Amino acid sequence: MNWQIIKKDLKRNKLINLALFLFMVFSAMLAALSVIVAVQTFTSISELYKKAKPSHFMQMHKGEINREAINKFMSEHGDITYWQTCTMIDMYGECITVKGDQNTYNLSDCRLDIGLVMQNKERDILLNSKHNKAVIRQGEIGVPVLLKEMYKMELGDRIILNCNGITKEFVIKEFILDSMMNSTMCSSTRILLSEKDFNMLQGKVGEVEYLIEAYLTNSKEANAFQTDYENAGLPQNGQAVTYSMIFLLSALTDIITVFVLFFVSILLILISFICVRFTILAAMEEDMNEIGVMKAIGLRFFDIRDLYLIKYRTLAIAGVIAGNIFALLISSIFTRHISITFGDKKISIHAIVLSLIISCIVFYITNFYCKIVLKKIKKLSVVETLVRGNRLNKNAAGFKKIIYKSKKLPVNWLLGICEVFFQFRNWLIVFFSSIIVVLMILIPVNLMNTLKSPKFISYMGSSLEDIMIETGNGKNIEDNYETIKQLLKRDEDILNYQEYRRVCAKTVDAQKKLMNLHIDSGENAGNELQFLSGKSPERENELAISYLNANEMGKETNDIIVLYLNGKEKEFVISGIYQDVTSGGYTAKSKYHFSGLNSEKYSFSVNFNEKTDVKKKADEWNEILGYGIKVEPMEEFINQTLGGVVNQLRTIIFVIIIISSCLTMFVTILFIKLRLAKDLSEIAVLRAIGFSKRDIKMQYMIKIGCISMIGILTGIVLTQVLGEKISNVALSSAGLGIKKVELIINPVTEFIICPLFLIMLILLITWIVVRTIKKYNIITLINE
Amino acid sequence: MKTLLETQNLCKSFEDIKVLKNINLKVSEGEFIAIMGQSGSGKSTLLYNLSGMDKSSSGNVLFCGKDISMLNDDMMSEVRLKQMGFIFQNSYLLKNLSIRDNIVLPGFKARKLTREQINCNANMLMEKTGILSVADHDIKKVSGGQLQRAAICRALINQPDILFGDEPTGALNSSATREIMDILNTVNREGKTVIIVTHDAKVAARASRVIYLMDGKLHNELKLGKWDISENKKIYREKWLSEWLEKQGF
Repeated sequence: MNWQIIKKDLKRNKLINLALFLFMVFSAMLAALSVIVAVQTFTSISELYKKAKPSHFMQMHKGEINREAINKFMSEHGDITYWQTCTMIDMYGECITVKGDQNTYNLSDCRLDIGLVMQNKERDILLNSKHNKAVIRQGEIGVPVLLKEMYKMELGDRIILNCNGITKEFVIKEFILDSMMNSTMCSSTRILLSEKDFNMLQGKVGEVEYLIEAYLTNSKEANAFQTDYENAGLPQNGQAVTYSMIFLLSALTDIITVFVLFFVSILLILISFICVRFTILAAMEEDMNEIGVMKAIGLRFFDIRDLYLIKYRTLAIAGVIAGNIFALLISSIFTRHISITFGDKKISIHAIVLSLIISCIVFYITNFYCKIVLKKIKKLSVVETLVRGNRLNKNAAGFKKIIYKSKKLPVNWLLGICEVFFQFRNWLIVFFSSIIVVLMILIPVNLMNTLKSPKFISYMGSSLEDIMIETGNGKNIEDNYETIKQLLKRDEDILNYQEYRRVCAKTVDAQKKLMNLHIDSGENAGNELQFLSGKSPERENELAISYLNANEMGKETNDIIVLYLNGKEKEFVISGIYQDVTSGGYTAKSKYHFSGLNSEKYSFSVNFNEKTDVKKKADEWNEILGYGIKVEPMEEFINQTLGGVVNQLRTIIFVIIIISSCLTMFVTILFIKLRLAKDLSEIAVLRAIGFSKRDIKMQYMIKIGCISMIGILTGIVLTQVLGEKISNVALSSAGLGIKKVELIINPVTEFIICPLFLIMLILLITWIVVRTIKKYNIITLINE
Repeated sequence: MKTLLETQNLCKSFEDIKVLKNINLKVSEGEFIAIMGQSGSGKSTLLYNLSGMDKSSSGNVLFCGKDISMLNDDMMSEVRLKQMGFIFQNSYLLKNLSIRDNIVLPGFKARKLTREQINCNANMLMEKTGILSVADHDIKKVSGGQLQRAAICRALINQPDILFGDEPTGALNSSATREIMDILNTVNREGKTVIIVTHDAKVAARASRVIYLMDGKLHNELKLGKWDISENKKIYREKWLSEWLEKQGF
């Protein structure tokens, strides 16, 4: 019998039921997708790490090393289980030319440090896409997937190395997965050569860089180990990375994907609830007499409720199943980045099971919500329903004395606007869905704009300059510093520049354990960074520390911090806490000179006159300054570093816009259909007293236009208010060293394109649906 | 008298059922016509076709010499708005508006006069029909008779050439019926043409002409002349009509 009821209802309200079904499908699909991407990210990384065995701590070093000292330190350190020192040949991008089927190009515009390596024996293995140890023979080459994606390389393309008069050609045999350097945020990438080719090239081309890798009993001790390593005076002319940092940088793009999908699925579930509530109440209102009769003949509340519930249950089950199937079918779009970066891997059984569980949760929540809405049946009495014709929604106050007092406003506008203002609750579904759709689109768009913007560099611990120059921590550091200074003095295109010196001072953490604090000192240190509290240091006894350092040390702004400088204690006041992702997010800034301490690094931020071609200047300086000095045009650096995340976000936003458009259409169709059904007699009256169909259409367009405009504007305001908070929760939970990001908005997108697109879409759909009143006959309507 | 409304071979079918069959009717300016007939005889359908609310299956309806059956929706709406008034059995006022707003609404839409003038006319109409005191009331808080008077005011706000009523007293008690019919007679005396559908002989007796429909055909008609307020004549007229109706098989 119940099945017959469902069948009849499905036939009678095809469009409404279809819209509800699609809401369920989208909600379940996105919830399942977010779980699939999350599980795939972590299982893929874990699987890759299981085979590739990345180190827990890695110190890169340019220049000579004392292997004996390293071996001695490693063997004596209690936490070490294994260590190795690998050799890498650093190459300029200009020296690497790629010959494809279609075109030939070199990698001069690549801002990543490119290093040539050979395969390791046991650990830190470079893998092929099938997670097997990549085997490269003489004349062959393995290119990291990072470069493959950046330059669209193909297997079989030729790579020509041309350096110091040596030319050597290789064929791309494999695209390799590098567990240690698989993110553009790592700043370096490795190309795999055969042992013979590597040995042949070593010493003849590029500059040698060492990768000192350590494996610990507990990977969480990597930070403490780093302090021990640095204090032992071992080589450290280069970046140091820890296991957790590598993991985080690798997963960042997909973590953001999961966050966006999950956020959108929650919003979708909310829209579904609003629509379900609206349709249930509309159906109950229509069936008020029948409900009364059922109650009068003695049917229990549960029996009556189940008559309604069974339809929504059926829709929810069908929607959740379809959503799950769709999620599995289209998951490859969202897991593409995972497949490329961590290897092509089928969706794990865990992902399938968890996506089913989340779909079940969506179903149960929907079912539970329907039950809550249907509780209204319990409150209705037979007398109320049959005798008084009680309405579920109390009629809102009419808009009396408005019409006759009006002076100029046309009647259609008067009726439309009066309904919007005095009967707002009747239109809540459009209002809320507009808000949610705006949030769904704008928050991810703003997040993408922020990651894309050059200003994002200020969250990464640097100021927004045209070019950043850095020296490495080698024996030539002071010479390099002088060379840079001379160059900058000579160049007439420079508008201004700031210089910073990085030193390492000792202090204690929250547990009073000794720790190293890497401080950038300089006149402009800390200016233009994003401070969570306080400000940049203004006096010499002030120090600004990064967010992660503040956590590590348990310090807040205005606290006193003691630094041990050459055996002497010196107190500093913490002027502020800023956000930083460089050096693992553990840095500090000060104006104090720290003259007694050795320099770890010099950096210069340079601004040019307006007409200067920054990229050209960076290439020119790179050539002049040579190895050991890095010249980065900041905008391009940002683009390349965060390009992967931005591209992934762009794909997601595209999908979200399609889903949002569909949702907007369905909500509009569903609402207008139900609204028209409710307003039949009023439409008939208006038609009878001389309002044309065109007038009626116009009134609906005005009503829905005003409501959706209010919803869209509220959505924009909420995006401004909540967008940052939501994004910050996601970013801070990622543990990157960024806690608070000011989302960058594109005013044209936020205030013109998005509202205009949504309003046009809503009006277009309304116009199409309201055209159905053409079929209405006044007499039939009156008689109904 | 000039012909205001005319039908030529008017037919109306619903699927296979012929509801109106070749109706030829002329209505002169200032007439008060009551359409009567048994249930299903097609009287309401005829009224809806005369008022342009429904489209005929064949034949023509000429209003002020123009064939309104050929007009599109916008044009027909314009005619209904400016030249016709309509009263239903139930008042069908818009539930969110006050009595006064309901009345001025078609006036504001038609824009024949300024809004101040329309408000003024509405006040006059409400005063005449005795509902000025409830002008700003919620429509749920006034009686059925008052609502029907409001519906008459609404129908008259644009000073139409003709007033249609589909059983305008069908839902009212006898005293309210009398009041409403007094108003319609006054309106008619002031020169407006009135056509109503009724099954109440007392109501029909107020008309100057009674048309009797049978099986969708114009069966017969009775000319009663102008309504007289003398009590004796009223009784005589009602009796005369009742006997005539009896002869028609009513």
